[in-house]
Amino acid sequence: MQVTNGVNNEIVLRLNVEQTDPTFLRDAYTKMQALSPTDNRGWIYWAEYHGFPHYYCWHHGRTGADDNQYPYNLFLPWHRAYLVYWENVAREQNSKATLSWWDWTSQTGVPVAFAQPQTNGNPNPLFSGPTPDMPGDPARQTRRWPGDPGELPSPQDVQTILNLVNFEDFQNQLEDLHDSVHGWTGGINPDNPQQGGDMGVIPVASFDPIFWAHHCMIDRIWYLWQLRQGINNIPPAYLQLQLAPFKYTVEQVLDIRQLGYEYASSAATT
Amino acid sequence: MIVSKKHVTPVIQLGTIDRDFSRADIEFDGVDHRGASFEARIFLNNPQADEHTTKTLKTGYAGSFHIFGHGGCFEDEGHCDVTPRRAYDPRPAHPLSPTRKIVIATEAVRQALQTGDTATVTVVPIVTSLNEKCDTEDVLRFDSVRIVTYR
Repeated sequence: MQVTNGVNNEIVLRLNVEQTDPTFLRDAYTKMQALSPTDNRGWIYWAEYHGFPHYYCWHHGRTGADDNQYPYNLFLPWHRAYLVYWENVAREQNSKATLSWWDWTSQTGVPVAFAQPQTNGNPNPLFSGPTPDMPGDPARQTRRWPGDPGELPSPQDVQTILNLVNFEDFQNQLEDLHDSVHGWTGGINPDNPQQGGDMGVIPVASFDPIFWAHHCMIDRIWYLWQLRQGINNIPPAYLQLQLAPFKYTVEQVLDIRQLGYEYASSAATT
Repeated sequence: MIVSKKHVTPVIQLGTIDRDFSRADIEFDGVDHRGASFEARIFLNNPQADEHTTKTLKTGYAGSFHIFGHGGCFEDEGHCDVTPRRAYDPRPAHPLSPTRKIVIATEAVRQALQTGDTATVTVVPIVTSLNEKCDTEDVLRFDSVRIVTYR
């Protein structure tokens, strides 16, 4: 029986990619990818928030300027807010679409749903997405050359960081796992060593559909850490920081249920 | 495999290290992340380590840090230069501010201390992804490295 997942304004359940029917997300992405780059319901419009050309994303921390003169890093809260916006944009195209998480600790590589170039004779919108015109790189479809699945983080790697009790320590280590998966997924073209996959560098990573499943996993790991270490376990100085350009402050994204979603290992309904 | 220029630090004196620790980190400050993405493999007391060296405690492997790189500059000249913000500039700090990477290396540091009071840190950068804008000869740039222990 099909799960009604957030259709009637209930909490959305994000499931493992392997347990999710990709039909609805595939439909939503097909529609988003067909819209023009300037359409604010579209793929390129929202993917552009991350890297090229707006570079709103948070990676690697920053030091100094604006209200803070000390090093700080909004990597986890910023991406959580970004995923909320993205998921709602997708649900506008298909009300049953939800993000799902790619459990790369299975070390089996790119999930099948994201690895097939075509489905039912049509281009698979989970396999690649459109990029905008960029300097020296005209609009095209994304590409990736994933590495050896055995090189992906292991369950033990995740368990180790879940045991860290300090938020900044945990975030630093999780961001490092995150970085490794980006490099792994983008990879390098074996026929052209100067060409890498889009997931491999910040400016273009978000145009690849698997970006969203990867960051769903990252967000989920933060959620699991919060269950162990406390939902509000974050330096107080972070709480009122704005997650530009989104409407949220850090404090407003700590509790995922307040954002309208949950992570579940499975779901069933009448 | 694209291997970039290896870096071997000068000798680090470990005489003042607290031997009674539950965790030891190797911290890299001022790490540049403007170019290619890479894995930095870290070895203690193995200046000969290279891309073929197995990642085991026996070879002095302490762990890796990873950089999800910016992939070079996509805009006009000067766009990716990290310039200080002036007072009253409301914009966030530059996103390409050099970063800090921390590798939890407890067992490797413990092993190094068992063999002596000094250590060298060897970093072997393996490029994981890139684009045509990226230099791959020398991707690893950082300001300093230190070994830190915690009780």
